[in-house]
Amino acid sequence: MEKGFEIKDDVNIVGFTCSYCAFKASEMAGSLRLKYPEGVKVIQVPCSSRVDPAFVIKAIFEGADGVFVAGCHPGDCHFIKGNYFTRRRIYALKEMFEAFSMKGRLKLFWISAAEARKFVEKVTEMYNHLKEGKK
Amino acid sequence: MKGKRITKKDLLDALKKFLKDELALLIAFERDNKAFKIRAYKKDVPDICLFNPVYEANTAIYLRRIFSEDFKILCIFRPCEARAYVELTKLTQVESRSVICGSVDCFGTVSSKLDNIVFPENPQDLKSFLENSKNLRYACMTCRLKNGVFGDFGLRIDSDWNLWVIPYTGKANVLYELISSAESDLPREFLENQERNGQVFQSSLDEFKRDFDKCIMCLNCRDICPVCYCVDCVFNNDEYLPKGDALINSILRSNDAQIPKNKEMYHFIRMYHVSQTCVGCGGCEEACPQGIPLTKYYKGISERLSGLFDYVSGRDFEEKIPYTTFREDELPNADD
Repeated sequence: MEKGFEIKDDVNIVGFTCSYCAFKASEMAGSLRLKYPEGVKVIQVPCSSRVDPAFVIKAIFEGADGVFVAGCHPGDCHFIKGNYFTRRRIYALKEMFEAFSMKGRLKLFWISAAEARKFVEKVTEMYNHLKEGKK
Repeated sequence: MKGKRITKKDLLDALKKFLKDELALLIAFERDNKAFKIRAYKKDVPDICLFNPVYEANTAIYLRRIFSEDFKILCIFRPCEARAYVELTKLTQVESRSVICGSVDCFGTVSSKLDNIVFPENPQDLKSFLENSKNLRYACMTCRLKNGVFGDFGLRIDSDWNLWVIPYTGKANVLYELISSAESDLPREFLENQERNGQVFQSSLDEFKRDFDKCIMCLNCRDICPVCYCVDCVFNNDEYLPKGDALINSILRSNDAQIPKNKEMYHFIRMYHVSQTCVGCGGCEEACPQGIPLTKYYKGISERLSGLFDYVSGRDFEEKIPYTTFREDELPNADD
């Protein structure tokens, strides 16, 4: 890996972000010079309902400490009703994680394209929480 | 709701009349001395076994991918199998116009791997025999839906041990009209199975890893599961279940060096995928060559997750599977 791009963090978070809102928010956070932890890897998906829970489980078992799924606020979906399905699926998946005492490793955020600050806040909070648990 | 009080002979006569049709088929259990088998009958039916105490596999898997509308296939199944059929019709894996599936009251079952058990023939004795049996399968021990109230029609026993046939959907008329007995009101009490209080499933990742350590990734549990129907399962390709070169590559590029890879991931993903539709039949545990307590996890998770949406798999033909529908004003606290 090129020097300077090496990621030293020991906490890895994979984020699936909707390209119409949460991903735009992360871009905006960059242009506003807001910082969020290096361990957060953002993946752009066309809609939050594109995220099959299998992706989340795969990420967790292949080494991610936490996963978040971020989509538009309910009712604001670009595809009209995609995030209503996300809401049910991820809510159930969180319940399943809780059944295996893995609470906190999966989060669901509603972040609109304008909420860069909220994105940074939520992601940093999740990062700090996981880092504390890892110590 | 009305029904017809029948004897087994009435039922057999009606089934014989039903099988006169060229395209009609009956799928039911037969008792051959000690052995209980699932089989199909065409043209004639000498005898069938209504109460089958031996569990081999969930019979609804044989209905999967029946897409023709021309047949008339009458099935007499256990409640868990009838529920799997209802789920499969919702998942469009069975053409429901050609299948008429009924459920019979069930007293619990034992594994077909056990030999040398002689079962009494009389339902009355069979019920008390199974209730006192130590060999009852875990899935049946924890089953709360043993009554024949699922599918297109039900064959039920009332408190005086009379057999009743009760139609639940219009399709059941194919059989119901052939039965010569007179229609009457249902008795007040049917034979009820003991209610067992279920606990909310709670486990931990360590316990899960310990239990599934023995898994050899034969995928039997997937193939025998009645509601796990995807033709293109992700575990058929190298991305999720690497083999050969892909296996070596994936070991070299990750920290995880166990072989076979991805056991926990496989069971997690499958557990989620069947979380709403799982009928809790325990077929996966029967098929597992390693004796992993699969039912405990799969059924536990499915009860916990379908409880979130007040859903019971196979209860109703019209009820939608929770992940395929939504209400706008629900789950206000779903996000973090």
